[in-house]
Order: sequence, then C-alpha cells, then structure tokens
Amino acid sequence: MTIKRITFVQEMLKFMGLEGRLHLEWISSAEAQKFAQVVTDFTEKIRNLGPSPMAALENRTGGERGYNRAG
Amino acid sequence: MGYRDFCGHLIPHGYTLENLDELEGLKTSNVRYSLEKVATHLVEKNPDLKIGIIARDCNERSLNVLYTWQQLKPENIETIGVNCCPSRTRDHADCSLLEPRETGSFKHEKGIDFNADPGEFLENHDNGERFDRWMYEFNKCIKCYGCRNICPVCFCPDCSLENPDLVEPGTLPPEIPIFHLVRAVHMAGRCVDCGLCEDACPADIPLRFLYRQMNEIVEQVFDYTPGSGIEKSPFTIIGDKVTLVPKPMDA
Repeated sequence: MTIKRITFVQEMLKFMGLEGRLHLEWISSAEAQKFAQVVTDFTEKIRNLGPSPMAALENRTGGERGYNRAG
Repeated sequence: MGYRDFCGHLIPHGYTLENLDELEGLKTSNVRYSLEKVATHLVEKNPDLKIGIIARDCNERSLNVLYTWQQLKPENIETIGVNCCPSRTRDHADCSLLEPRETGSFKHEKGIDFNADPGEFLENHDNGERFDRWMYEFNKCIKCYGCRNICPVCFCPDCSLENPDLVEPGTLPPEIPIFHLVRAVHMAGRCVDCGLCEDACPADIPLRFLYRQMNEIVEQVFDYTPGSGIEKSPFTIIGDKVTLVPKPMDA
C-alpha cells in the first residue's frame, strides 16, 4: 500500500514541478548503518536540487502565507 | 431525480408518486448537475429508497464509483439515459462539455490551458516553470469548496479539507499548493472526469486537467479506470502483492 501511494505521489509531484524530492526506502531497525547512509545521500541530493520553490514563495511574502480576511 | 423548468432554467427536482402531474415540467438540455450526489444524501436518511436518475455517460460512471464505495446500492437505482454525446445513432446531443472552454491569452502565458495535453505540458515546461504556472492558477483559489461540493464522488462526512488542524480557517488563499494536492490525491482512483469541478470553480482553475493527469497515472501504474465497472480502487486494497519497485535515489 505504501509503495502504491508513494509511487503515485512521486508522479504527481513531478507533474507539479517538485520532482525528485520524495524517496522511499525499506530499512529495518537493525540496519543502522544503511539508514545513516541513505539519509546522508538523500540530504546531499536535496542540497544539490536547491531550495524548494515553495520556500521561495514564503520568503517573498515575508513569511506569511497570505492575508487574513477582514473581520 | 430529474430536472424541472423553473423560469427558463433547469434545476434538479425529485419527482415522487404523490406528485406525478409535475412531470409536465420534465425537460433535459445541456445543463448538468450531479444528481447522484443528491441521491447519496437521500439514501443516507432512507437506505432502502428506490431512486430513478436521469443519467448521462458521466453520471453513469459516477454511479459505478459510488457502487464500488458502497454509497448506493445498484439494486435500488434505475437510470434513464439521456442523449449526451453526438453519434450516428442519435440525432441530437445535449452536453455543456460539447464546446470546449476557451483559454484567454494571459492564461496561456502565465497559467495553464484548459485543453492542454498532459504529455506536452510535461515536455514543454521544466520543473520551475511548471511550478510557477500551477501556483499562478492556485493563487486564485478562494476556498469556496465548490469543487468538493459538486463532485459526485466526494462523500466523506468529515472532509479533511475542512479540518481546522489541517487547513487553517479564515485565511485566504488556502495553503497552496497543498490544499489542491490533497484534493487531487483523494481524487486518485475516484474521479470520473465529469468536469463539474472545473465548471463550478469561480476562479477558473484547470481542475479537470489536474485530476485527469492523476487518473492517467493511476491507469498507467495500476491499470485501473474509475467508473468503468464495479472494481475496487487499488488504493483501498491492503495486502495485495504489487510488482512496483521504489525508484532508486539517482533516478
């Protein structure tokens, strides 16, 4: 079920323009070294991709998501 | 459940055995409503109610999905077909979708064409540009919930888009693009491409294009088309064997 959902969301994010920022890996709690390796590699990959375009939006509006409705 | 002429407009109307003379006003035209959604509300209060519905192709597909999710019982529903799509066997056709919507020039530049082809969209624009175009469209959202209200296959009594912990009440625009992506994920395996959401949206957001792409993905990856029959969506079946493999990190 997880793999179905993650595959779907990966394709959807690609369509949206946020490709490559979601990754799925099966790791047992006994494989600590593999976990450390995967996290390091993925952090590096994300760093190379640059800031998310959504973060750029937040900065543009001064950190607020929108404006409050009057009243 | 059908339509009634009211001052020149057609509105949904339920004809009952007690009011058979009202049938004089029954008409069809290119006006479309999701009558099956009204039927689900009626059946909530009265589970054994037998309902006949004036149904086009899109209504038939939504009914199939509602049967799959057990919102309606097939033995209690009878459909009466309407000429909706033109063909050689029918001399006239009535559907509001027969004329494709026009997209203005500004929308072409900054946003997304209603009638775009998803394959071309993916090829012609890179990541950054796709994101900007979608954000242009979603920025116009006023959180009217029109898309959710009119959708024939949306039936959750506790909609997650109304949950105050997930979507902060009282601010506009809603947290984009998450708001629309949440709805898009819920539409995977359910949307039958009736187009009522795009018709209802006051901000002209190309929702049909988005949900159509979602279901393209579902069709390609899981080989499932909602509305084609009474099979369960792959997202509801837990514990089945799948041959999908997670993508490697450098893909």
